[in-house]
Amino acid sequence: MSRIGAASATRASRPYYVSVGNEEHVFKAAFRQGLSVVLKGPTGCGKTRFVEAMAYDLGRPLITVACHDDLTTADLVGRFLLRGGETEWVDGPLTRAVREGAICYLDEVVEARQDTTVVLHPLADHRRQLPIERLGLTLDAAPGFCLVVSYNPGYQSVLKDLKDSTRQRMVAIEFGFSPAPVEEKIVAHEAGIDPDAAAALVRFGQAIRRLDTSGLREVASTRVLIAAGRLIAEGLSPGEAARAAVAGALTDDPTVTSGLVEMIDAYLAGPST
Amino acid sequence: MRDRVRTTVAGDGVERLGLLASALSGRAVQVAPGEPGEPAWTDGRRIFVAADGSAREQLEALAVQTSLLASGSLEPDVVRKLTRRRAAARRYLAVEGHRALAANEHLLPPSLRSLIDCDVAAHSDSPAASLAAALSREAIADPPDHFGAIRARHLLASSEHALRRQRDPVLVELEEDENDAGTTADFFSSPGGGGAFGRLLQRMLRMVRHLDGSGPPGGDAPTHRTRSGTRGGRNVALSTRLAGILEDGGIEGRGTKYPEWDVHRQLYRQDWCTVQEVEPRLVAGSSPSVSDPYGLRRSLARFGTGLDARHRQVHGDDIDIDAAVEARVAVMAGAAPDEAVYVDSVRRRRDLAVLLLLDISGSVAEPGATGGTVHEHQRAAAAALTVALHDLGDRVALYAFHSQGRSAVHLVPVKRFDDDLGSLAGRLRSLVPGAYSRLGAAIRHGAAVLEERGGTSRRLLVVLSDGLAYDHGYEPVYGAADARRALAEVRRRGAGCLCLSVGAGTDAEVLRRVFGSAAHAAVSRPEQLRQVIGPLFRAALRSAEVRRR
Repeated sequence: MSRIGAASATRASRPYYVSVGNEEHVFKAAFRQGLSVVLKGPTGCGKTRFVEAMAYDLGRPLITVACHDDLTTADLVGRFLLRGGETEWVDGPLTRAVREGAICYLDEVVEARQDTTVVLHPLADHRRQLPIERLGLTLDAAPGFCLVVSYNPGYQSVLKDLKDSTRQRMVAIEFGFSPAPVEEKIVAHEAGIDPDAAAALVRFGQAIRRLDTSGLREVASTRVLIAAGRLIAEGLSPGEAARAAVAGALTDDPTVTSGLVEMIDAYLAGPST
Repeated sequence: MRDRVRTTVAGDGVERLGLLASALSGRAVQVAPGEPGEPAWTDGRRIFVAADGSAREQLEALAVQTSLLASGSLEPDVVRKLTRRRAAARRYLAVEGHRALAANEHLLPPSLRSLIDCDVAAHSDSPAASLAAALSREAIADPPDHFGAIRARHLLASSEHALRRQRDPVLVELEEDENDAGTTADFFSSPGGGGAFGRLLQRMLRMVRHLDGSGPPGGDAPTHRTRSGTRGGRNVALSTRLAGILEDGGIEGRGTKYPEWDVHRQLYRQDWCTVQEVEPRLVAGSSPSVSDPYGLRRSLARFGTGLDARHRQVHGDDIDIDAAVEARVAVMAGAAPDEAVYVDSVRRRRDLAVLLLLDISGSVAEPGATGGTVHEHQRAAAAALTVALHDLGDRVALYAFHSQGRSAVHLVPVKRFDDDLGSLAGRLRSLVPGAYSRLGAAIRHGAAVLEERGGTSRRLLVVLSDGLAYDHGYEPVYGAADARRALAEVRRRGAGCLCLSVGAGTDAEVLRRVFGSAAHAAVSRPEQLRQVIGPLFRAALRSAEVRRR
């Protein structure tokens, strides 16, 4: 059980999320209709934060499971454990969400084994049921239960792809990086830095996103920019912060790193020279 | 040679600005040092800036040139009207430069935005309008020095060159490797020197060496044997001479041709290298069976995909009733119970094809860092890996490679995918290191074989090399770039890449340049493989699975 990052969260204030399109309407409509939702988008663009904000708005607890490639059905549904001479059933995070009517968020669901994702099928369609073979039990999802999975289509994978039968049970919401003004606002708010510094970081991030064949596997995400911003808030210079949080995070290749450092110097060391 | 590698690859100069230039122009461009005192200019693929200028001047020049590229100011249609009209080109640059900068403003670093003159930029809203203004009699101030220059002829030449290359790949054969002509004497490799006598001597020696298998001396033993190749029905030629004395030329039209990445010109040389599969020459003697002395099997056993229930595990999905009862009994009897009472589902079905490429160039004949030659270490590692993977039920092939010029890249199939392990030891022992290593071509051929005959969804290419990519016209910088490129191509096509250096004292920095971001490791003895091989396989397979769109 220790392998699963399951957390139920009820927060005092709404997690900071800036809507850029109709995603909040779509999500809330799907929630009210009991439909499952798949969130698609690159890493670090705000999928998880979006779910947190929605859970807050809808007043449901949120149970998050970070999927990995050894995630089994039992990890999600639950298993028998031995306590002394007795067996004892322990609910998995999915079963808990079904019983409590929580939003169950499976992060990076493609990472999970395909035999695992099949357990989601009866939950994701009109039945809204979770059969638990080991208990000989079929649970009906409590009102308020909502299945949300995230999926990063940028990781095109030879072996891993969401099964068509799984995808077709879901409503898709596409995410991208926010437009520059919104992203500046987000970085400034999250990192607690002034808008000019945030704007400089975002401009730099967008330059990296323009690179196509550069040896970078992933571009600079909003998350990475926020991390750089938080270092700036701690008193580091923008250049230092970007080296640590952006260049170091994106690549290990020395030639690409030196190219990124040049970009950092051009974009972020500007005002001081 | 290693020192040379270190000094020539270190990109401390303006090349470092390549990434910035690519970001600003929205396409892959390189930055190269221009002639001292010369204004900055671009040919569409490279931007030349003065290496002796200050960082600020270089940045300004880059901003202008990349903005021109990004806003379509240097398209052939426009530029064609500027050939042989230097004054017009300068006037065009003065107007269009500001327009392009303004159009690109949202991307420019804040410090460079001061370059834009909005008044001038407002004159024009497209390259065509700027061109019209430049060709009119309107008064236009000269562009500032940091704008550089537009060299219409070079821009056109490079775009036409790209076109012509697509139409007729033969035309780009140029410069070096002129000794491919066939009859030219090859001074490097023949033991008897060049000329007719040398060739005669070689031929005599070759026939004597040929005796061990096929026919009486002086009989109709052919000097070249051909085998109908399985790759596209091409014939594959076999030279029975020792590896160290390969000869350039004379086998045009056979083998498989592969492109090569020219880092200096930033383009592929199409059909540049010819790869032949060359049957290994077996040495007589008994072939002891090869084993897996380093315990690699255990580390490699995890990389399959199928699931299988396994009993008596410490963690698992279900309780293993038998084990649970036993444990309970043990507790009742006062003994310590076994806690492994669960049934777990684990991966077991094998779905992996691995092709190993073994470097047998001359450099591996050197003594390794820890006694024995590098070749001996690498050979032992290759054998152990082959045997371990084969025992696990994976599809595995082992090819050795070396080269002598671009037309003679030879791959020796030590074990093909469908061969058994019977002759592995004998064939491995018959490998003699010699000649050079054109790593990129070998990798491309290995990947093609792997893709064609691997037959599984998970594919992995393992390169065992000392990391010294060197051949005629394949100097270390060029070779490293080509090898890196080839590995990236392989990954893009969905196979994992893993590079191992065993026993070689090659600098880690050099290895990283050659192998790039592919999973790689250097160990000094084959015994140490066990510690690194598991994580490496995992990383390599993941890199194939996780590809950028």
